[in-house]
Amino acid sequence: MNARRAIAIAWPVLPLAILIALPFNGLNGFLLDLFYFTFTYAAMSVGWNIIGGYTGYISLANLGFFGLGSYIGGLMLSHLDWPILLTAPLVGLVCSLVAAVIGWIALRTRGPSFVIVTLAFTFIVQFLALNLKDITGGSAGLYLPLLSMDPLLRGDLFYYYMLGVLVLAIAAAIGIRRSRFGLGLIAIREDEGKAEGSGINTSLFKIVAFMISIWFAAVAGAVHAQYLDYVDPDLAFELIIMLNMIVMTLLGSRGTVWGPVLGAFILFPLQSYLVYWLPSTIAGEVHLALLGVVLVLVARFMPEGLLVTLQKLIARRPPPRLQAVPVDAATSARP
Amino acid sequence: MLLLQGLVLGILVGGMYALMASGLTLIFGVMRLINIAHAAIIIFASYLSWQLLRVLGVDPLISIVILVIVFFVGGALLQKYVLSALIDKDLSLALLATLGVANVLEGMEGALWTSSFHAINTGYSDQTYHFGDVYVPLIRIITFVASVIILAGLYVLLTHTNLGRAIRATTQNRGVAQLVGVNVNRITMIAFGIGIAVAAAAGPLMGMYYPFYPNSHWGWIGKLMAIVVLGGLGSFRGTLLAALILGIAEQVSILYIPANWAATVFFVLLFAVLIVRPQGFFGHVARESL
Repeated sequence: MNARRAIAIAWPVLPLAILIALPFNGLNGFLLDLFYFTFTYAAMSVGWNIIGGYTGYISLANLGFFGLGSYIGGLMLSHLDWPILLTAPLVGLVCSLVAAVIGWIALRTRGPSFVIVTLAFTFIVQFLALNLKDITGGSAGLYLPLLSMDPLLRGDLFYYYMLGVLVLAIAAAIGIRRSRFGLGLIAIREDEGKAEGSGINTSLFKIVAFMISIWFAAVAGAVHAQYLDYVDPDLAFELIIMLNMIVMTLLGSRGTVWGPVLGAFILFPLQSYLVYWLPSTIAGEVHLALLGVVLVLVARFMPEGLLVTLQKLIARRPPPRLQAVPVDAATSARP
Repeated sequence: MLLLQGLVLGILVGGMYALMASGLTLIFGVMRLINIAHAAIIIFASYLSWQLLRVLGVDPLISIVILVIVFFVGGALLQKYVLSALIDKDLSLALLATLGVANVLEGMEGALWTSSFHAINTGYSDQTYHFGDVYVPLIRIITFVASVIILAGLYVLLTHTNLGRAIRATTQNRGVAQLVGVNVNRITMIAFGIGIAVAAAAGPLMGMYYPFYPNSHWGWIGKLMAIVVLGGLGSFRGTLLAALILGIAEQVSILYIPANWAATVFFVLLFAVLIVRPQGFFGHVARESL
């Protein structure tokens, strides 16, 4: 029993060790990039899951903050010479503070205003990126100073950086899931009125969950700006990024720690091969449409996601019987 | 005089905004669902109308009739076989499903019609009338009049028929409506179908007014959401009023600030309303009457 418990807690060390070892064993350029993107999406999905899965509020602002993170990181690099890979956590913090304001506006009331405000926020940031030409360079974008380092090491650097962010995201997701805070978020998802009645400061909980969620999107955005050495309003606010975060989380299992990771590790490689395989004239459009189809199908036929569905299949044995406890023993056990 | 020009154009475009947003508000009313695909469905109708004009020479105003019927059936089927099962389980799943639908339509349009601009051009597209100093393109009068006629029809349907009464009852209180004998599942399906049909009616009009491309629905859904929030979610009257106000605000501000910045009027008002009065103009009135 203790061995099983140890495995249940420690198993992530094994895949982590493999992922750390991979670049030492001849992982080449294409696969290295594939993993970098998968880590980025997985980290953002885990982040999205904290507001969208644990708390049950659909956020469409994570894309806006991905883009905002790209621009803030990019501007600090080009004006102040602050390396993005060092400032990224700070960029995330700045974006989390902006998220607190957005959350304050949208999360005071229950219901649908959150999804509307978060979508509007994404539009507004993209609009500003496009139209504040003096600062952002408009649709031409910003060319960032290149990282001066060996191009072979460069790939490894981004690989390990986003692996680190992903590990941090998973650690945060586990920590939240086991804390009173996480319990409060799930209570809000299940019944916000009762959660409030039982003394949870629902507005504060929701806003903090949103801020944590946003931190990962903004960090990923900032790092990605350096990865491309370039930011523009189309790349930084590509809707497929938002769709991916949501579909990955939903496919993996919303509200679980590992669901979004599983979803990202399944969906991103599939998508890269799909786009590679499709004729380039319609690849983008078919890619978008198929992702939409997957979203509708998962929502309709497997809303609990792969992880929970699999767990249920495996655990399809007679439900554990309650242990028979003598009545007097049960009552006398209470103080 | 410039102000009068902005006012007139604002009212004309506001009529069309009202038509575009009314389906969204009707669907929110019966299902408590923000249909993120609403603008994508409008744009899809614009493309179909463009195709009908191009291939069969069907006038966009006539294609409205065809599209309304087809989209009503399509919408009702979507509600019955996809959304209704999700609504019972978890509203946010239904919301995400509409996001999926929006992306399916966008991707499909891009694959079928490329991602470049399209516009519905008819023989009367370029005519303009002058009334004193105010100039008014004929297209804007046509889209306004057509929008008002369709909205009036929708209003009569909602207020003077048994179906409309049942829809309003379902909007106000689903449980009680069921208790007094309304088949709420069926009514929800029909109301969703009507909401989509209204979107289909707006498609050809929007396509005559503005150029469109596959992902332009994102810009539109932002505007439409601002309208329905300003009017009070689920309130038909509030939506009409908010559409007019935002139409006028946009057209007047175009006179004083660069045209691309005028779109921000929607978002500024959206945030202002949510800070000051989150329930919108008619947020509570919607509970008592239409």
